[in-house]
Amino acid sequence: MANIGSNRTVISRSKKWLVVLLLVGFGLAIGRLFYFSIIKGDELQQKAYSLQLRDTTISAKRGSIYDTNGKTLAQSATVWQVVLAPAYFKTDEQRTYVAQRLAEILDLDQNDVYEKTKEKTYYSVVKRKVETVEKDKVLKLSQELAKKYNLGNVIELIEDYKRYYPYGDFASTIIGFTGMDGVGREGIEYQYDTQLTGTPGRVITAKDVHGTEMPYKYEQKIDAQDGNNITLTIDETIQHIMEKYLQQGIKQHKVQDRAVAIMMEVKTGAILGMAVEGGYDLNDPFTIADSNTQKEIDKLPNSEKEAAEVEALQKQWRNKAVADTYYPGSVFKVITSCMGWSEGVITDSSTYTCTGSYVPFEGASAIHCHNTAGHGTQTYKQALSNSCNPAFMMIGQAVGAEKFWEYYQAFGFSEKTGIDLPGEQSDIFFGDGSGKMQPMDLAVASFGQNFAITPIQMVTAISSVGNGGKLMQPYIVKEITDSDGNVVESKTPIVKRQVVSEEVTKKVIDAMEENATTGSAKNGYVAGYKVAGKTGTSEKKIYHNDGSQEYIASFCGFAPADDPQVCLLVYLDDPVGDSYYGSAVAAPVFANIMSEVLPYLNVEAEYTEEEIAQMDTTAENYVGKSVSEAENLVSSGGFTPVVMGSGDTVISQVPTAQSRLPQQGTVVLYTDEESMSDDVVEVPDLTNMTVAQANSTAAMYNLNISVVGSNADGEGISYSQGIKAGSKVKSGTVISVNFEQDSNYGNGVM
Amino acid sequence: MDSLRYISNERIKDYQESVRRAEREAAVRKRRSEKTSDSDSGSRGRKKGRFYGFFSQQSGMDMPFFFLVIILLVIGLVMMFSASYAFAYYTMGDSYYYLIRQGIFAAVGIVVMLLFSRIDYRILHKFAVIILGIAFLLATVVLFLPAVNNVHRWIGVGIFTIQASEILKFAIVLFYAHWAIVHYDKMDTFVSGVLPAIIIGGISIILLVMEPHYSAIVIMTLLLAIMMWISGVKVRWFVMGAGVVVAAFFIMQVTGMLKYAMERLDGWGMALEENLSSDMQTTVWQTMNSLYAIGSGGLTGLGLGQSREKYLYLPEPQNDFVFSIVIEELGLIGGIIILAIFALLVWRGIMISLRAKDRFGMLLGVGLVSQIGLQVVLNILVITDTLPNTGISLPFFSYGGSSLIMLLAQMGIVLSISRNSNINKT
Repeated sequence: MANIGSNRTVISRSKKWLVVLLLVGFGLAIGRLFYFSIIKGDELQQKAYSLQLRDTTISAKRGSIYDTNGKTLAQSATVWQVVLAPAYFKTDEQRTYVAQRLAEILDLDQNDVYEKTKEKTYYSVVKRKVETVEKDKVLKLSQELAKKYNLGNVIELIEDYKRYYPYGDFASTIIGFTGMDGVGREGIEYQYDTQLTGTPGRVITAKDVHGTEMPYKYEQKIDAQDGNNITLTIDETIQHIMEKYLQQGIKQHKVQDRAVAIMMEVKTGAILGMAVEGGYDLNDPFTIADSNTQKEIDKLPNSEKEAAEVEALQKQWRNKAVADTYYPGSVFKVITSCMGWSEGVITDSSTYTCTGSYVPFEGASAIHCHNTAGHGTQTYKQALSNSCNPAFMMIGQAVGAEKFWEYYQAFGFSEKTGIDLPGEQSDIFFGDGSGKMQPMDLAVASFGQNFAITPIQMVTAISSVGNGGKLMQPYIVKEITDSDGNVVESKTPIVKRQVVSEEVTKKVIDAMEENATTGSAKNGYVAGYKVAGKTGTSEKKIYHNDGSQEYIASFCGFAPADDPQVCLLVYLDDPVGDSYYGSAVAAPVFANIMSEVLPYLNVEAEYTEEEIAQMDTTAENYVGKSVSEAENLVSSGGFTPVVMGSGDTVISQVPTAQSRLPQQGTVVLYTDEESMSDDVVEVPDLTNMTVAQANSTAAMYNLNISVVGSNADGEGISYSQGIKAGSKVKSGTVISVNFEQDSNYGNGVM
Repeated sequence: MDSLRYISNERIKDYQESVRRAEREAAVRKRRSEKTSDSDSGSRGRKKGRFYGFFSQQSGMDMPFFFLVIILLVIGLVMMFSASYAFAYYTMGDSYYYLIRQGIFAAVGIVVMLLFSRIDYRILHKFAVIILGIAFLLATVVLFLPAVNNVHRWIGVGIFTIQASEILKFAIVLFYAHWAIVHYDKMDTFVSGVLPAIIIGGISIILLVMEPHYSAIVIMTLLLAIMMWISGVKVRWFVMGAGVVVAAFFIMQVTGMLKYAMERLDGWGMALEENLSSDMQTTVWQTMNSLYAIGSGGLTGLGLGQSREKYLYLPEPQNDFVFSIVIEELGLIGGIIILAIFALLVWRGIMISLRAKDRFGMLLGVGLVSQIGLQVVLNILVITDTLPNTGISLPFFSYGGSSLIMLLAQMGIVLSISRNSNINKT
């Protein structure tokens, strides 16, 4: 064709169009893609994620708590969380069916579950902490739903953990517990929550529109980091011994406001045991453990019940050993002694005259000694043994208020001990806490009244006396290990400061030892061991309805006196039994605990001859031996043989081999069946007797006694027996008899 | 020149016959000369076997254009498969459902393309009017066929479904090219240049509104404008036309009709708005997920096969929105590379056409290639919520058997034009 001009138009216009298409058209397209993929990219991606990704948390296993020997005190076990994704339900029939079945399996209210099935979400927790048995049932239900309704994804089971406390109410205030959310609520569980918790992991999976997982690499799994394990300085055996005797003390002396015992390793400050009784069951912390309290709450009108319950629970959970303060009473005289010796106001030749009361300064009213008749003139040692208040007021005055405050601070009373337990309280000192004391304050403070400290402060301070004047930082966690067993943290003992010189402590220990052997604290004596101790009876300045005052009976001491290993404070709050004195109430508990703990710790015993004569020994096995041979063996073992029957060989014996019985105790040897069946003895009444009386009475009946609660001297009067009078037993049976020190000994000891 | 004013079909036939004869003679001559000189150097003289001979430059087909088509076809097939297999699995129970079908269509389409490349495009002169007539007929028939997804777009022929608008677009380009040749010297007049466009455009718009198929209206209108433009219609008509469109938009904006229209048009431009009614949320769901896919892709993409949006979030990812998945998997970079290939194809196609031996080839070729360029741009404007979501497929990528075959047939026509084009074809 010849129309060249027109062709030229086509070509030039086409090229213009091409330029426009490529620059404007493609440019606009790329621009828009750039805008959405780069500029708005992150925002859009986040929105896309919120559509596509399902985020599931994997619980981290909470670390275990062990005692010092690796016994498990708290551990987590796998349980399951049942989660519904109710958005998948299509019909009401499906909802009703699932609600009914789940309620049945998980023991829930069907209506509650039904309400959950109506939610428009993919995540609704039906029940937490479901055990494996129920979990398997739920799993079956899920499989059934998959077949029946094609609803395989409506129930999800998520691994979770539940906390178990194998020893129940053991060491409850120390260990603490976790809430439903798995967070530590009290004690070590609370204090070391971050260590125990670990880091939860996550699984992020991409799901399609129907909630089914997409294949391929979108799954991101961040493994859970299990929590660290905690090893305590607490020794389960020691703790058990302490709890046992505290409970006994509470029962015996009708203690109203719980009791505390703290045992500290003198040289390190490690807490070997910290018992607060009555405790509560860690597996069931929200139940009020004390049945009397519960009964009282039940009597209340409904409106007050809840508040009363909360109060009771908080009281039950509170670690009295660190969270409550008390007037230390006469135990503090040990500290006053240290001040006196250190300041040179006490010397070996110092004497103190007690007339039964003392006027600390002119114009002041007289302060009575517990022995209103007066202790007369005493040396320092005698004054401590007598626990003479006027003597210590004199020492306190000689030390002076300023120095008193300095030593008070040095012994760590003005600061928290820093023990790794929650809720530690500060002391309450006179006035504004700046240490300024009025003359009367100084007078009463000298024997531990009218200022309040915590039990942990008291035991730490007394322990420092046993430690040559070095004040230790108390601690309860020995080691933290990760889930693979690697040590994360290991505690080393911390010396806070040298409070007084070792010479000073030797003087004081000397007096404390004498006190615990022959003085007001002799009920704290432990056969075979040199014990240094001091009783305390503190006035709480709280009065009962009948006008009588509330007291705290306490005893603090350490053993052996020449090389102190363990320091123990026993503290019983408001005993209303026969006695409220530290010497009568707290000292026997101290002695009982020490007498079992010291051998357990392999502290060598050094018995006096007297003690050896008094000591229980172990019966051997005499069965199968000829009568004469057995008789010889029994006699040589230090026992009295009684042969029953007419046989030639011993076929049975009472008590059995390995039983412990007192020297000269009776061993009955049976030689024929007849003698065994015929032999029945009626148990006599062994109460209100001295140890010797009880022993001889028992021997008359061919019975044995096991002495509980008496010191090596065999002092005290029996008040109860293990097998009731009138019961029929076999000859030779060992009957435990509980003795109480003559109340005269502890009379009026502050 | 006057003698050509009343050019008749007879004369066109004669002219075509003469050109064909001349070409045949030239081809024979060339073949002979190659047979005699084996060592002919350069790009022109390679010796080819029978098979390669088909693709060789002697046969006159433009190889760059051919390979650009094949490259796009292969990439398109792979990406369509990647985008569709999850959807195919859930809806059809077979991940390969769309791949197998599209693969078969592509194979058939290549054969059709090669066939069309062998047919002299000038024969279409004769059929232009008939084809337009058939296109209008089909576009009318489709209105009386049962609706699919509430729209009347498809005509079933055996296993095929044909989109009436696909044929209509081709028919309009063909007809206008034909008309512009016949009335080549009067194209600057209103009656010859503008009026036929208004008539066939008007009829088409009425038919397409009834389907409804708004995007086809947009493409068709633009194609007509391009055809008018390259055919030499005076600039003032375009200015007036643009003025009318702008005025219409302005009035719609002022009267609030634009907003209404946007809502009616599948929530055009509202995909990312918060607090949409649940109905609107459903409406914008596809566009919104398209934007999520593009946003998730970012610069480098999530990797081939790693799209998340294709897991049923983006509905029908094998269709118009396949490129959103492409961006999600290959990123903006991958998207730009693919667009560059498209741009090359358009550029090459237009260059081929502009060197055609006759003006019919020029107009037809530019029209057909422009259609691809337009559809690519409009498709991307749709998936980026710049234009209403009204069904503009992406050539070579979107699933659809009849349109793929149609597309490849059109590419065959461009290749046919290239045989007569004075351009270096290797």
